Amino acid sequence: MNLLGDFTFSQSSLQDDVDCPRRFELRYLKRVRYPAPETQDMLEFEQLMQHGADFHRLIHQYILGIPTELLTPFADEAPLNLWWRHFLADGLRDVPDEKRLPEMTLIAPLGDYRLLAKYDLLAITPGERAVIMDWKTSRNLPKREWLAAKLQTRVYRYVLALAGDELNDGAAIPPDAIEMRYWYAEHNRVISFPYSEAQFAEDERYLLSLIAEIEERDIFPLTTDDRRCRFCTYRTLCGRGNEAGLLDEYETDFEITLADDFDIDLDQIAEIEF
Amino acid sequence: MPAKKSIRVTKAQQQIVKTPFDQTVFLEGAAGTGKTTVGTRRIRYMFEEKVAPDSILILVPQKALALPYYDELKRKKTAGSQVGVMTIGSLSQQMVDLFWPLVAEEAGFKHPMKRPHFLSLELVQYYMHKIIGPEIDRNGYFNSVTINRNRLFSQIVDNLNKASVVGIPYQEVGERLKSAWQGDETQKHVYDDAQRCMTRFREFCLENNLLDFSLQVHVFIDYLWPMEAPRHYLLNKFRHLIVDNSEEDNPVTHAMLGDWLPQCDSALIIYDTDAGYRRFLGADADDAYRLKAHCDTHAMLDRHFTMSDDMTAFAVEMAETLHHPLEGVKVKRKADALAAIEFPESIRYHPQMVDAVVERIAALIYDEGVPTSEIVVIAPFMSDALRFALMTRLEAYDVPARSHRPSRALREEPAALALMTLAKLAHPAWQMRPTTFDVAHALTTAISDLDMVRARLLVDVLYKKGQLAAFDNIRNAEIQQRITFELGERYDMLRQWIDEYQQEMSPQLDFFWSRLFGELLSRNGYGFHDDFDATRTAANLIDSARHFRQIIGSIDPDAPLAKDYVEMVQRGILADAYLDWQLEDTESVLLTPAYTFLMSNRAVDYQFWINVGSPGWATRLYQPLTHPYILSLQWEQGRKWGDEDELAANQDALYRLVLGLIRRCRERIYLGFSELGEQGYEQRGELLMAIQGMLRRRALEEA
Ligand code: SF4
Repeated sequence: MNLLGDFTFSQSSLQDDVDCPRRFELRYLKRVRYPAPETQDMLEFEQLMQHGADFHRLIHQYILGIPTELLTPFADEAPLNLWWRHFLADGLRDVPDEKRLPEMTLIAPLGDYRLLAKYDLLAITPGERAVIMDWKTSRNLPKREWLAAKLQTRVYRYVLALAGDELNDGAAIPPDAIEMRYWYAEHNRVISFPYSEAQFAEDERYLLSLIAEIEERDIFPLTTDDRRCRFCTYRTLCGRGNEAGLLDEYETDFEITLADDFDIDLDQIAEIEF
Repeated sequence: MPAKKSIRVTKAQQQIVKTPFDQTVFLEGAAGTGKTTVGTRRIRYMFEEKVAPDSILILVPQKALALPYYDELKRKKTAGSQVGVMTIGSLSQQMVDLFWPLVAEEAGFKHPMKRPHFLSLELVQYYMHKIIGPEIDRNGYFNSVTINRNRLFSQIVDNLNKASVVGIPYQEVGERLKSAWQGDETQKHVYDDAQRCMTRFREFCLENNLLDFSLQVHVFIDYLWPMEAPRHYLLNKFRHLIVDNSEEDNPVTHAMLGDWLPQCDSALIIYDTDAGYRRFLGADADDAYRLKAHCDTHAMLDRHFTMSDDMTAFAVEMAETLHHPLEGVKVKRKADALAAIEFPESIRYHPQMVDAVVERIAALIYDEGVPTSEIVVIAPFMSDALRFALMTRLEAYDVPARSHRPSRALREEPAALALMTLAKLAHPAWQMRPTTFDVAHALTTAISDLDMVRARLLVDVLYKKGQLAAFDNIRNAEIQQRITFELGERYDMLRQWIDEYQQEMSPQLDFFWSRLFGELLSRNGYGFHDDFDATRTAANLIDSARHFRQIIGSIDPDAPLAKDYVEMVQRGILADAYLDWQLEDTESVLLTPAYTFLMSNRAVDYQFWINVGSPGWATRLYQPLTHPYILSLQWEQGRKWGDEDELAANQDALYRLVLGLIRRCRERIYLGFSELGEQGYEQRGELLMAIQGMLRRRALEEA
């Protein structure tokens, strides 16, 4: 048995397992920290991540009701200014406004474990429909099929169907009332995924099979797609090269996403200890 | 890992757990009476009754006290949202981060349209050195005080924090301290100097959008909490409160809770009687007790689950000796206070006492089968020397031990030292040329299989004027062979990497380290490849350097950040402790200062009190710039602090400390005493006097 009973899965950890079981093992089971660069263009990468985090915060603040004129000065630099303009124009178009819950975390049981989803925004009209919004700040617009296969698309809808009762006046949200929307800030484009009973059943089967596989694995094999290794910090440990790949290639082949880590350590502040 | 003991709850506990969800409860009781169990069971009950988890806020004074709640939350396998677990610090930071645009200007920040920067403790120390250090030198502040700079700065920070959490304007701290002082005038100048430093630091923070802990709490409590939108957000979001160890929290948190209680649906406020250990961080147990008046229901737990009957008898005896007889605690007829302690025959020297303690620990483990996690060694202060002595002796007995803090600061880890040395080698312009010893040491860490003897050989021949020459510059074939060509090749690759880097240097030190690590040091054949302790150290150091660059660089983009960072690390200001508490191995004997143990709020079977003769059990730390009693709500302004106050405070602190420890021990307490203390002086501290007093009284009673 590879997992402790209190193990919590997330879309990031499951995606890691699907992309490369060895990466899942190193990162989530052995918790190995390995501080190699993700890409060669470290500064640019850092800035992209920072802009992404700033943008998410701005939307959070906007949804909490902080007046736009107080927020706009914080989006005065490129590319944030463009994203912000796009968001103000269309980011919430046709998004239910009865209940908007920014930065919401839901947890559902998955076999003997837990599955966590951290949503950018859940917008719900109780008894009618529920829209999952996910703000994407990557420069490239991915193909729909690529997104459809992502664990995020499966996990987010699945968890909402299982754990959304408390947001829907105590009743479970039926899968066909759920829609997942990726909104690409740079392009002001939505890529949307409805949900269904059949897809829910298929996701459950798939997710359970993933964890069963993880539980039983004796060895965690290295990925066969070694393009991934160029953007993975464990590359030297795995003997998969010594240098990080270029950011442009990263963005073409994969998608930069903000870390969706599941540590429940909310206490970031350094307090004086004894 | 041994199975967790399952806890059965009593009817009294069960009743509180099941309080309706429209009631607020104030629950009091001494340590070990099962209050936190009520808290965690209440959470479980709320889940069962379908209370929305994200409407629940668990508020604790410090992160470690939330551990029982985290354990409970991890056990939850039902679907739903997530409970909030916070301290006043994390709550303030999150709220300020979110609602910054609403308050930045009003709170006096010079750039309200720019993002705030939250300062970690190490960055506060950094700015203290950078901003306040020169002021002190220029103006000759604190001339009459002889303590080191770091402690001086800690007390200035401490004053700001106390002002903030007690709710005193920080501008009044100096005056308050002065008004209570009745000694010579020079001390008043010290308070004036402290005030000037506090004011200068606060101004600097306001000018640069920097928020240390004190400013975060101040902005949250004084600006956001009274404001409609943020307050509505919090009141609306968290309808149910669970507040544990309220006695260890501070007056501004209590005032906020006082406001919150009438407006929430339910609350459980847990109060530990006879505690209040965080007083010198602004905790105020008396103030916390006032929350009782805001609650609908009052409950008390008085049955002890932790202590054995003998231990209860010992608690009663000690309380009486310390002039605070315990009311309502029944001692069983057969119980014997003396059976709860071991007080060995007189030992003259300190090292003998340490030996005796370690032998006894080993006997418990090997002869009696006591798990290591059930043993804790407690001292009033855990000096480096004492910790080292205990660690090495325990190691000799093959007993795993851990300390309340890492045995080494991050900067002292061999991996961090090696990275620092390599950074200096790669940046000759810093003019921080490493010594040959440091370079040899760095090479042994960086290159697998290279021992110190061969590293010295390499360095002696090839390291000249701060530069590393190529391996084939060693003309002596015998030396080359001794080092081996394989290691010589690895060495050359490292040297070449540095050469190439120097063609195109990066101003970001964290990027330099990350690349050096990723491109070379983590390869097979190099020291970081699969040494995961070393990779963790490297990751922590890189995080620290990145955080430094991002914050300091945003304030002063032209500062020589990389060199500054390395200098500050060397001076012991940065890269201090990076303890990953989630990785802590609990299956070992814990060595800890008494207050730290109390604040972890857990019980063990065996405690070893070291240096019971030390005056440190009952004496406050020497803090010439601050004062935990005068900077509190309970202090009557203008009153003078006298010897009798000091005595009463010390006695009260000793009583709380001793009772707190006893109540967290199930089986036995070993009293480690040597006639001569760590420094070689006779030991006659108050704790020793109290224990001897108790023993004398018992002897008389039995005679
Ligand atoms: S380097 Fe490649 S094989 Fe190794 S963990 Fe990363 S993705 Fe997997």
